[in-house]
Amino acid sequence: MISAHGLSRSFDGRPAVEALTFHVPEGKLFALLGPNGAGKTTTVRMLLGLIGPTSGSATVAGHAIGADARASRAVRAACGLLTEAPGFYDRLSGWDNLVFFGSLYDMPDAVVRTRVTHYLRLMDLWDRRDEPVGGYSKGMKQRLAIIRALFHDPKVVFFDEPTSGLDPEAALAVRDLIVKLKDEGRTIVVCTHNLDEAERLADLVGILKRRLLVCDTLERLRAGAGDGARVHVAVRAGAAEHAQRLQGQPFAPHVDVTGETLRVTVGDAATDTPRVVAALVQGGAEILEVRPETPSLESIYLHTLRGDH
Amino acid sequence: MRVLLLFLRKELKAIRTDSRVWPVYLVFPVLAIGLPTFVATLSPLLIRQGMARQDAGMLQVAQLIRMMPDFAALTPEEGMTRYVLRSVAALFLLMPVALSSTSAAFSIVGEKQQRTLEPILATPITDRQFLLGKLIAAAAPTVAMTWVTALVTIAVVDIATSGRYATALLPDRFWALGILALAPLLATAVVLVTMRFSAKATDPQATVQATALAIIPGFLILIAVFGKLLTTYFTALGIACLVMALIDVVLFRGNTRTFRREEILTRWK
Repeated sequence: MISAHGLSRSFDGRPAVEALTFHVPEGKLFALLGPNGAGKTTTVRMLLGLIGPTSGSATVAGHAIGADARASRAVRAACGLLTEAPGFYDRLSGWDNLVFFGSLYDMPDAVVRTRVTHYLRLMDLWDRRDEPVGGYSKGMKQRLAIIRALFHDPKVVFFDEPTSGLDPEAALAVRDLIVKLKDEGRTIVVCTHNLDEAERLADLVGILKRRLLVCDTLERLRAGAGDGARVHVAVRAGAAEHAQRLQGQPFAPHVDVTGETLRVTVGDAATDTPRVVAALVQGGAEILEVRPETPSLESIYLHTLRGDH
Repeated sequence: MRVLLLFLRKELKAIRTDSRVWPVYLVFPVLAIGLPTFVATLSPLLIRQGMARQDAGMLQVAQLIRMMPDFAALTPEEGMTRYVLRSVAALFLLMPVALSSTSAAFSIVGEKQQRTLEPILATPITDRQFLLGKLIAAAAPTVAMTWVTALVTIAVVDIATSGRYATALLPDRFWALGILALAPLLATAVVLVTMRFSAKATDPQATVQATALAIIPGFLILIAVFGKLLTTYFTALGIACLVMALIDVVLFRGNTRTFRREEILTRWK
């Protein structure tokens, strides 16, 4: 659904993003992470056809970005955008704002009104629809902005910091909606600093710092983090002796012991964990708990950025 | 066409709900109705008194007006009244110019300031549609207000002077062409120039001040230079309309060519 090949953009000769190459299949959620100024917004704007690339190419929803004005319009018609700081006409009502923006997609009035009604009810804003947006809370404006990004039924939706500044309940509601949109088969790109959110939602994670440092599924990123996966094994007694017996086995190249817990480094958690357990049981260990240790996205993120010096 | 009218509908709603705008929109119509009515009702008396006093200035003006074909057959009192009334039509040219320039100053920088520009540009709307929509939104309400005010003025003046002259003082054909054609064309030019400023600006207030400083004095200078020509020769007024239409086309094309979505999105903070 989204494919970028060597996508680059410079401003006054200074590169904002360089050589981005990635593919987001249809119906997947791509979390684009990176520090401030990493180029996330520039990337989204390029993919939406709002700004052109300096070099490289991309297709979004089957349309080549920057090919010509018609293709750019087709991309914009197929995409929805939630900007980081969504703005509205404060003196107009929520309803009027949405009808205005909906009509810019050249949908028939009746369709715009039906969809606006549906989404206002869904987002719990129906009762406040006639009030000026200037009086809305930040959470309400964010929900209104989400409706604006969706009511033309886009195949691809870009969310820039979708839960920024929202209270936990509102943030949860937005995350639930994003999951629902993904379940409906839409392709979603989320730019966020919220790593926990990305970890919960994303099928694919990209870490951007002018270049795309990594881009893969979370599982693969975890598997590739550090020197391999780790497994925690708690035994009733004799952890040190059991560790000695494990040491040197090809499936357990490194074992640490803390109290009665072994921390075993394995090559691949899925295939090596049963071997570790079998070897321990064979050695007479009484196993209380086996728990794979998965590196958090935060640790992957920090490890990736620190490695980019 | 529907997309173009959207901006107008939004602008009208915004005007309706903004109590700060109303006084500005009321001052001009009140002035534009009041001044011609004053001229039509009181100037005959003042002219009569001046003529009776053999006022040199008044006699000179009367002589000049008598040389104009439209007024040659009329009494000095009626001729002068009609001429002064025709000159007052400049107010109806100034009204859309002054009001629409304020609205146009906010047209693009205002969208950027309230962070609505990116969501608009993220829709399939073309640059031409966006700029034309903004132009209509800025110019149409003030032009409509000018026309309505002119109609009210014509009615008030004709009622106030009813039975005084063989034919009603208004509408004068200069008024008709000036208000129906030149006023919207002038307003369009002013809006297009102001929008060009607005697209480059970062502060709406600064744009309003800059355009007010440039446009209103510019308008007054134009009236001072061409006023007599435009109130004397109907053909000159027609040519002025054609020239303004040409200027509008050139300005709109220039605006479309120089409108840079990228620059607006990426350079403004």
